[in-house]
Amino acid sequence: MKRWLHQHRYAITVAWRRLRSQPFSSLCNILVISLSLAVPIVVAAVLDTVRPVVQQIPVSAEVTLYLDRSAAAGTAEQLGAELRERHADDIDTLEVISREKALAELRRRPAWSDALAVLPDNPLPDAIVVTLRQHPEIASTSDRLSEEWARLEPVDAVQVDSAWVQRLQSMLDFLGMGLWMLALGVALVVLATVFNTVRLQALTQREEIAVARLVGATESFVRRPFLYLGALTGLLSSGLAIGIAWVALQPLGTAINRLASSYSAQLSLQLPDGMSLMLAGIVVAILGALSARWSVTRNTPF
Amino acid sequence: MIEFQHVFKSYGRGRNILADINFRIQPGEFVFVSGPSGAGKSTLLKLIGGLEPPSRGAILVNGHRSDRMPPRARPYLRRAVGVILQDVHLLYDRDAMQNVLLPLAVAGLSPAQSQSRARAAMEKVGLSGKEGLNPVEMSGGEQQRLAIARAIVNRPSILIADEPTASLDEDSARRIMDVFRDFNRVGVTTLIASHDRGLMASYATRTMRIDAGRFTDMPGTL
Repeated sequence: MKRWLHQHRYAITVAWRRLRSQPFSSLCNILVISLSLAVPIVVAAVLDTVRPVVQQIPVSAEVTLYLDRSAAAGTAEQLGAELRERHADDIDTLEVISREKALAELRRRPAWSDALAVLPDNPLPDAIVVTLRQHPEIASTSDRLSEEWARLEPVDAVQVDSAWVQRLQSMLDFLGMGLWMLALGVALVVLATVFNTVRLQALTQREEIAVARLVGATESFVRRPFLYLGALTGLLSSGLAIGIAWVALQPLGTAINRLASSYSAQLSLQLPDGMSLMLAGIVVAILGALSARWSVTRNTPF
Repeated sequence: MIEFQHVFKSYGRGRNILADINFRIQPGEFVFVSGPSGAGKSTLLKLIGGLEPPSRGAILVNGHRSDRMPPRARPYLRRAVGVILQDVHLLYDRDAMQNVLLPLAVAGLSPAQSQSRARAAMEKVGLSGKEGLNPVEMSGGEQQRLAIARAIVNRPSILIADEPTASLDEDSARRIMDVFRDFNRVGVTTLIASHDRGLMASYATRTMRIDAGRFTDMPGTL
């Protein structure tokens, strides 16, 4: 057991020495990996911050039902009463706007009055404006009700006024999916960069590897420093990536906060929690070690 | 103990470098292998050191069939055999001490143990005080002695050397041979490939002559 520990200690020392022996090259590799890693960290930070805030944005989900113009007078009031009774739990307020009232409203606006004057009759339909009660699943409720109401006989069209919230939510979901794709891309960057670094290192250390084998080194002994080199590269890159992401989040946070304040919301962009970052660093280190193992096995055949 | 039984070695479909080699070397012997260049001396040593497998035949080193050893076990055989190749294969990116420490790191010794053993090995080959020198700063004879220190630091039971005095003047060559003789006197089986008849006459207890892959003069042939 002690021998095994001594061999690991030696491997770590050798890996560190190799990393320091070519400082510029090592730094470039670490920088490439860390810049790639910083992108998903920033995206994750934005998503983590924005998602809960979007869910809290006060949205008065308004659903407007436009009735068929051929609907008989009084149909809108009758339908409004029915809806109020049938969906009392979901409806907060309900207002029936008759086509005459809507026309009168439009005529009061100078931009519309001239246009309306040339029309032979009232082009507007009766409308029912429904404001839904606030709850976390308001988006799905407005979807369900608007679909149901669109099928009603006198209803010609239904318009959901809070659709932008849903679009934003969908966009965030899309970004969340994109984050996984990005993470996959970064994993490939880590694999490729470490593979190439270790390939070059194995070529440089060819003589040392040959001598080590001559004096009885096992294949594990030969490969071990390269595995640590890959893992160390991964760990150092993760640390630097966290630093880069933190720096990038400062101006980004100010800009996003300005945008959020226009929706009466407060945003404070922060790095993902420490445990997630630590796990990500470990995963990157493992990826680096695996890539190094693959590379050294291919490039130093016995 | 080293034993070859009907050993053949060829590369690809080429001619036999070694053909039907049979011999036995008892523990503690000091044996020279002589012969002209290209006779197969180096190949013979590489087979003993487990650096290459035979094409046919059985090789026993310290009672183990090295030709049948799985690749994972071969490194452990190499630790029991100190090998000094014609090209000393020193590492020029580190000092002499670091070169000698490498086999001890391979064996997994603690840094303190390694330091003490490496110093002792350097002292035995007469390189005390030169631990901090880079091998490139050393003479040919010193480099050869450094390679010997690296080969013996793990206390092998067998020491094999391929033309260790080839590029040295007579004085340096004798100093190197004295080092080998000293190790042999404490029980290390020593096998040296050389074509220097003067050295053989002074040091050998037995000489095996090889030519074109076959023994031509071989006391102790099986």
